[in-house]
Amino acid sequence: MSLLSVKDLHVSVAGNRILNGLELELEAGQVHALMGPNGSGKSTLALLLAGHPAYKVEKGSVSYQGRDLLDMAADERAREGVFLSFQYPVEIPGVSTGYFLKAAVNAGRRHRGEDELDAMDFLDIAREQLKLVGMDEAFLHRSLNEGFSGGEKKRCEIFQMAMLEPRLAILDETDSGLDVDALKAVGSGVNALRTPERGMLIITHYQRLLDYIVPDRTHVIMGGRIVRSGDAELAREVEQRGYGWLEEAAAASAA
Amino acid sequence: MILQGDDSVGEFYSVALTNNYQQADTGTKMIHNGRNTKSTIISKGISVGKAHNTYRGLVQVGPNAENAHNYSQCDSLLLGDECGAHTFPYIDVRTPNCRVEHEASTSRIGEEQLFYLAQRGISEEDAVSIIVNGFCKRVFRELPMEFAVEAQKLMEVSLEGAVG
Repeated sequence: MSLLSVKDLHVSVAGNRILNGLELELEAGQVHALMGPNGSGKSTLALLLAGHPAYKVEKGSVSYQGRDLLDMAADERAREGVFLSFQYPVEIPGVSTGYFLKAAVNAGRRHRGEDELDAMDFLDIAREQLKLVGMDEAFLHRSLNEGFSGGEKKRCEIFQMAMLEPRLAILDETDSGLDVDALKAVGSGVNALRTPERGMLIITHYQRLLDYIVPDRTHVIMGGRIVRSGDAELAREVEQRGYGWLEEAAAASAA
Repeated sequence: MILQGDDSVGEFYSVALTNNYQQADTGTKMIHNGRNTKSTIISKGISVGKAHNTYRGLVQVGPNAENAHNYSQCDSLLLGDECGAHTFPYIDVRTPNCRVEHEASTSRIGEEQLFYLAQRGISEEDAVSIIVNGFCKRVFRELPMEFAVEAQKLMEVSLEGAVG
């Protein structure tokens, strides 16, 4: 059984059809890269899987660990282990990163019938995981994402991922706007979180993040559907040749 | 609050929450009469449902209140699209040598904020409570520990059923 199984998915937002019959299978323990030009539907897929209310499913199905994902509310999906690293994390003024994250971690623990972490236990674990992305403890006391640089926001997303230990992690353009150091920190953070139980879907424009995180499979999305799937080599080919040749190939096969 | 003596100091911190069809009109008066008097006003208003929240305050600096200084901050938070926030900061200054500052902001709990918290597994009710408490932090942190905890609890109870 796949961790995530997307079948014939058609999705619209504000009346515009964005995804047109998308198919995707992701096994536990695998890292898949999803590449595509602007407007091809990458972020739509990410936000839809996370349960954003603006995205409407017209047709198709999504199953997650054998359950109907589309039947679950966004917060329930998260507690069941679906994590989205946001392309644009929002600011929450006055709410410290630590306070917020402790609430999130404990919501998941309650859901699984585990004891909640107290402040001391939480801090011990948080300190450990902060090292993963090269940040220090002062971070926990800052208002969530408020005044964070682009790199800090993305490191913070990966830090949250480490703390929440998801089964399915979707990284939506986590590499955009990062300098080389932040890119390395994010890359090594993600690699440390690759486990046999966890599946990851890494959405990106460029191949450069995939220099640090080598995917098991690469998919190219265009016009709201997967037009080509391959191994890590496909990402390099896209980097060299662009998307044009895939468009022509897709058009030829459609004809 | 009347700041009569020279160098006297006044502080006013408030949080007002209105829900359903409530209308609140709250605020304070800071009367600076003495020299070198200082005052701070931090007012946080939260409107939910069809409620309206008004801050109405007077900062008066008398003719003898040389070198007086007031800082006022009025922030409003809206939850829903049928509520309102109103701010009337009256300022009456009768000496040229003083400093009166006023800052105001109005913001809304956005769908994107709620979605972000939901994506981390936090229920909508808890998410609203976390965001509102963050908004009030500047006031709550002035309170003694026990009272701050009470204030947060009270806020949670008052917000029950505010969403969904």
